[in-house]
Amino acid sequence: MTVWTPTDDGFADLTSHDTFAQGAPHNTFARLRREDPVSWTDYDQGQGFWSITRHQDITEMNRNFAVFSSARGIRMEDQTYEEYLARRTFQETDPPEHMKTRIKVAKAFSKPVVAGFEQDLRDLSNQILDAALSNTTFDATKDIARQLPMLMLGRILGTPEKDLPWLVEKGDALIANTDPDFTDHVLDQMTTDEFRMMPFNSPAGAELYAYAKELMAHKNATGDTDGVLHLILQPDKDGNTISEEEFRNFFCLLVAAGNDTTRYSIAAGIQAMCHQPELLSQMQQGGDDLWELAPDEIIRWATPALYFRRTLTQDFEAHGKQMKEGDKVLFWWSSANRDDTVFDDPFRVNLMRSPNKHMSFGQSGPHVCLGMWLARLEVRVLFQELCKRLKKIEPDGKHKFLRSNFVGGIKELPVRVTLQ
Amino acid sequence: MKVTWKLPDGTEKSADVANGTSMMQAAVDNNIPNVIGECGGCLSCATCHVYVDDAWVARTGAADDFEDAMLDVAEAERRDTSRLSCQIEASDALDGLVLIVPQP
Repeated sequence: MTVWTPTDDGFADLTSHDTFAQGAPHNTFARLRREDPVSWTDYDQGQGFWSITRHQDITEMNRNFAVFSSARGIRMEDQTYEEYLARRTFQETDPPEHMKTRIKVAKAFSKPVVAGFEQDLRDLSNQILDAALSNTTFDATKDIARQLPMLMLGRILGTPEKDLPWLVEKGDALIANTDPDFTDHVLDQMTTDEFRMMPFNSPAGAELYAYAKELMAHKNATGDTDGVLHLILQPDKDGNTISEEEFRNFFCLLVAAGNDTTRYSIAAGIQAMCHQPELLSQMQQGGDDLWELAPDEIIRWATPALYFRRTLTQDFEAHGKQMKEGDKVLFWWSSANRDDTVFDDPFRVNLMRSPNKHMSFGQSGPHVCLGMWLARLEVRVLFQELCKRLKKIEPDGKHKFLRSNFVGGIKELPVRVTLQ
Repeated sequence: MKVTWKLPDGTEKSADVANGTSMMQAAVDNNIPNVIGECGGCLSCATCHVYVDDAWVARTGAADDFEDAMLDVAEAERRDTSRLSCQIEASDALDGLVLIVPQP
C-alpha cells in the first residue's frame, strides 16, 4: 500500500493553491517528467513560468546560479524591484553577496554546533509526547509536529517561552499566507496592496519586526550577546553591517523557515507510520545505521518546500525549449523527490534508502538549507522518542493538506494510538 | 589526472579525473564516503571537507576568505591542510594528488 495515491488528472493547474489542498499533483509531475520536462505555464496573476521537474535537470540548473538567479524573488508571484528590495533576505541573493550574510550564521547551524542541542531536543520531545499521548485520539500535526520546532526555535532565538505560541502563529501567517486557516490576509484573495513592502507580503511581517526589535533591545540591555540574532548583526569582513530592513527580513525568515518546514516533515513521517505499519517496528528495532538514514527519507517524503523559483540572467536552452532572459523558472523539489529514475519505488517510505539524493533542502545549489542539520536532528530525536512509546498508530479520519503551492504540508492529521 | 583518497578505514581508492572537474564531484562520482557536497560546489555547506596530503599542500594552494570561513563549519576537526574539495580543480599540475578523507 502506498501512503497516498495522487488523484490529479495529470494536467493540474500548478498556479492554483487549491490544487495542492489535495496534496501535490504527482500525476501531473510524473507526466511532465516523462513528456515535457521544461514546461511552460501561463499565470493569470502575472508573467508565466517554466517548470523544471526532473531530478537531474534541477541538480544541474540549481548549481548554475550565474544563469538561474535567486536575486529577483523565489516564489512564482511577480515582484516589482522596489518590493524585492524591501522584502529580500539572503535567500533572494546570489553568490558572492549571499555568502557574506550566510557566513555569519553558518557556524551556528553547523552539524557539530547543532549536535549540542540533542539532549535539549530529547527533553522537549518527551515533554510534548507526555502531553499528546495522554489522549488516545488527537491531531498529530497540532499536538506533536507543530510543537517541537516552535519550542526549539525559542531556544535558538532566546525568546521567552510565553511568546512562542504568538511567534508561531505569526510565522504561519507569513509562510502559509495562502491558507485561510492561517491568515486573514490570504495572498491571492486580497483586495489591497497595503502590505506589499512587508516580508512575505504579510501584515505579520510588521508585527514580527516590532517584536524582534524589542527582543534585541532587551538582550542588549541585559548584556545577552548569545545566539544567531547577534551573529547576524556583526559586520562582515569588509566592515558592512546589514540594514534594519534586512534584519527584519532575516528574523521573519528564521521564524517562518525554522518552524513549518520541520513541522511538516514530522507530520508527513507520522502520516507515513499510519499507512505503512511496518515503519513502527523498523524504527523500534533500528540501530545507528537506520537513524543515520531515516530522517532524510522522512524529509524526502515530506518535501515541505514544494518549489523555489529562479530568474534567468540570459537565454538558456534545455530539452529543445528556448527560455529567455528574465523568464521565471521553477525548480519543483516535490517532483524531483518522486523521480523514479533516481528513487526506486518513490511513493513508498524506505527508512534505509541509501543513497538518498533527495532535494528537500535544495541540495546542489548555494541556497542549500541552512538549518538542514537541525531539521535532521529534530526529526531523528522526535521519531526515536515517539516509536518507543507506541504499540500502534493509525489514521482517525482523513488528513488535510495546506492550501499552498509553495509549502507542502499536512495541516490536520487525526490519529489514534495504542501505547506500549 | 589521477587522484587518490585515503579513507578513514585505512584503505585507499584512486580514480582518473578529467581536467576541470572538482575534487568534490570526483569524490561523489566515485562514492567516496564522507564527501557529500550537498551544495553542489557552491561553498555553502562544507560537506566536502578533506585534508590535503602534506606533499601536495603547496600545489593545491590556500583557501580564499569564504572557503576559510566555511572550513570552520565542517564536521571534522580543522587542520592546517584542510580544504573544501569543491574548490580544488583537476589539472595536469595536480596529477597524482593525494587527499585524506576525514573521520567525522
